[in-house]
Amino acid sequence: MTGGARMKRPLPGLAVGAVTLALPAVLDDSALSVYIFLGLAAMVTVGVSLLMGYAGQVSLGQGAFYAVGGYTAGILAVHGGPPVLGLLAAPVVAAVFAAVIGVPLLRLRGHHLAFATLATQLILLSLAGQLEFTGGDIGLQGIPRFGIGPFELGDAASYAYLTWAGVAVVMLVTRNVIDSRPGRALRALATSETAAASSGVPVGRYKLVVFALSAAFAGLAGGIYAFYVGYVAPGSFPVLLSIEYIVMAVVGGLGTVWGAVVGAAAITLLVQALNVVGTAPGMPSYAPSVLSYAVYALVLIVVVLFLPHGLLPAVTGRRAARRPRDAGAGR
Amino acid sequence: MRELLTYLVNGLAVGCGFALIASGLVAVHRVTGVVNFAQGMFAVVAGLSASWLLGAGLPHGVSEVAAVLIATATGLLTGLLAIGKRGTTPQSSLIITLGVGVLAYAVEIFVWGDQPRSFPGLPGSLTLAGVGIQWQHLLVVATTVVTFLLLTAFFGRTYLGKAFSACASNPYAARVIGIDVTKMGLLAFALGGLLGGVAGVLVTPLRPVSFDTDVTLIVNGFAAAVFGALTRPGLALVGALLLGVAESLAAGYGYAAYQTELALGLMLIIMVVQSARRATVLEEAV
Amino acid sequence: MIEITDLVVTYGSATALDHVRLSVRRGEMVALLGPNGAGKSTLADTLSGIVSPRSGTVEVGGRLAHIPEGRQLFPDLTVEDNLSLGGWRSRERDPSFVFGLLPRLAELRRRRAGVLSGGEQQMVAFGRALMSRPDVLVVDELSLGLAPMVTRDLAAHLVALNRDQGLTVLLIEQNARLAFGVCERAYVLEAGRVVAEGPCAELAGSPRVASAYLGGSIEETQA
Repeated sequence: MTGGARMKRPLPGLAVGAVTLALPAVLDDSALSVYIFLGLAAMVTVGVSLLMGYAGQVSLGQGAFYAVGGYTAGILAVHGGPPVLGLLAAPVVAAVFAAVIGVPLLRLRGHHLAFATLATQLILLSLAGQLEFTGGDIGLQGIPRFGIGPFELGDAASYAYLTWAGVAVVMLVTRNVIDSRPGRALRALATSETAAASSGVPVGRYKLVVFALSAAFAGLAGGIYAFYVGYVAPGSFPVLLSIEYIVMAVVGGLGTVWGAVVGAAAITLLVQALNVVGTAPGMPSYAPSVLSYAVYALVLIVVVLFLPHGLLPAVTGRRAARRPRDAGAGR
Repeated sequence: MRELLTYLVNGLAVGCGFALIASGLVAVHRVTGVVNFAQGMFAVVAGLSASWLLGAGLPHGVSEVAAVLIATATGLLTGLLAIGKRGTTPQSSLIITLGVGVLAYAVEIFVWGDQPRSFPGLPGSLTLAGVGIQWQHLLVVATTVVTFLLLTAFFGRTYLGKAFSACASNPYAARVIGIDVTKMGLLAFALGGLLGGVAGVLVTPLRPVSFDTDVTLIVNGFAAAVFGALTRPGLALVGALLLGVAESLAAGYGYAAYQTELALGLMLIIMVVQSARRATVLEEAV
Repeated sequence: MIEITDLVVTYGSATALDHVRLSVRRGEMVALLGPNGAGKSTLADTLSGIVSPRSGTVEVGGRLAHIPEGRQLFPDLTVEDNLSLGGWRSRERDPSFVFGLLPRLAELRRRRAGVLSGGEQQMVAFGRALMSRPDVLVVDELSLGLAPMVTRDLAAHLVALNRDQGLTVLLIEQNARLAFGVCERAYVLEAGRVVAEGPCAELAGSPRVASAYLGGSIEETQA
């Protein structure tokens, strides 16, 4: 897969790493915030891509795990917990939550699971909007900045490093999962669940693990988001967010680690560019939302129809993602 | 008691709206195996179109029919994107309908703005056993009943309806006997658009719609359709009415805030129970 | 009636049919033999237009009906609905002439096709194909999973239709004994290629065909 290809050609990987590290030093604050959101989206998308490409499951509720992470970090921090604890708890709580709801939900297939995860997100948002300890509709305000002991992350550049360190962790974990023996079994899972089951792969457990792992990635991103932005509310995690992650994963090519990052980058930058166009003087007030909705939708439709293996394999000519995807879409 | 009756009628009317959405989902799913995420959008398009046409001075009746036709055409277009290309799998089709739903946001905001719109329905009300029932509620219920009867007759009695069922029952065999399965699927999408459109023009006077109302509609419609295992319109109707009444009662007795949890929780439980039952059947079959 | 030249059909990188040449004259009954996975059903699907050839030509000089392998009925619909849908191409809606031919189906008309026995289902599939008023009938695995008596009964109907109405038949079979009993000529397909063809009597005499297709197979011991 991409992992193997990267090992054979370490240079592009190193170059990407160097640029990633160098960018925070040269970007201004508004560009940095785009850079941070890009990283956060990449983290979630790697999980979505893993889930769709390797476990053949569509989650329309990945935003729910993002929200769980954000609220976990936020609640702990607001009540005076050490931020590190909050940041560590965010992925853990999200993963545990996914594991708990996953037991019944992962019995569902295809579109049932898609709607079930969407429903989970809607229920969660609705609950967050009513419960006191989540701050109701107003949300949690005044989440302190992230810090370790006396050292506090003050400027955007340090959040960018934190974010991209998170991306690196997520990518490494995913690479290891993909290259492991269970990972190869997972590929079989996306190809044919029945075949995988009959060859002795514990289908249910692997699906649950991938589901929880993808939730942990989203939770981690949510945690960083909470510290960086400083507040979380139900409105921070709309359903459209979950759809965005699917767009990014599909655009990048399902089941590819780098593809997910490329997809997140492409979509984030595209939307950013559209925002600049949409808010230019003389544009009507509805322009930004119309433009971004239209472009999301068209990119998604065009990629699904004409580049079913995603942008990255289409550009580089690698067909690595082909097998998981073809079959994963089989139902 | 009087309150209870009012809530019941309210709930039935709202449930009928869900039922029409659900019937559209069932029609498309039966024929194509695709769950059409854009089904709620058809209702939104019809609701917004009708309010726009009425605002432009067209009379009642004409506006509503035109709005339903616009929704039907939208359904056909959605179908063309979702299943028009050969070899599109149901999962890809689901994702495409998701994309179509978002694309519709752009069009709707561009044409009609992002504020909720409504229009007056049938004015006045009827007093029955001391309870005032709005004519619009009765219209919704009556239209839904007629629509379901027509739908049942269409699937059960007409040759085209049977060909629809044949595509659902065994697509390969349908192709063997010369039925163009893709064309049937497109017709089903158009039918889904029509049913969604009817839901939209009926419900908009009761609950204003805006571009993003589609999520509520599709989720409730899907919950109802799931009740009928996505293939049985009759059961979907029962599910939708239960859902509508339960939500209306919850709202009426002060739990309005928990409507979403109630409806979606119910849907999740039904789906999990159904899948558990299916799994048992499979194990027994082995 | 059927003229296939240089037909190549592929699924992805796998070749299902490799330069197949086959012809059936009007009024003829021809058998197509071969083991599982030889490409027989792919050939049938290509003839009825479900599968597109990669190269080569397929010409059919009339209306073709196809009884697919495994019957492939509409299990949720009644026997009568299954039959009337068979007339989709011919616009023939009334199955009474099929009831005349196969009276048993008239008794079953209101039953759901999914609950019938294998033999009854094959009869429905047969009737459904006749509803399109075909000039040529492609029968894929007539005998598979059926009791010998039922198979003989259906084969007799085929022979009668061929003799009385000039129906052209391509009989795709694993049961060579049955095929040789009713057909004049046969083709043998293996791994997507035609490996033998000729009059049935001649093929039955060839040691290779005899050992492969007339040896002690399961169907054969049943028959």
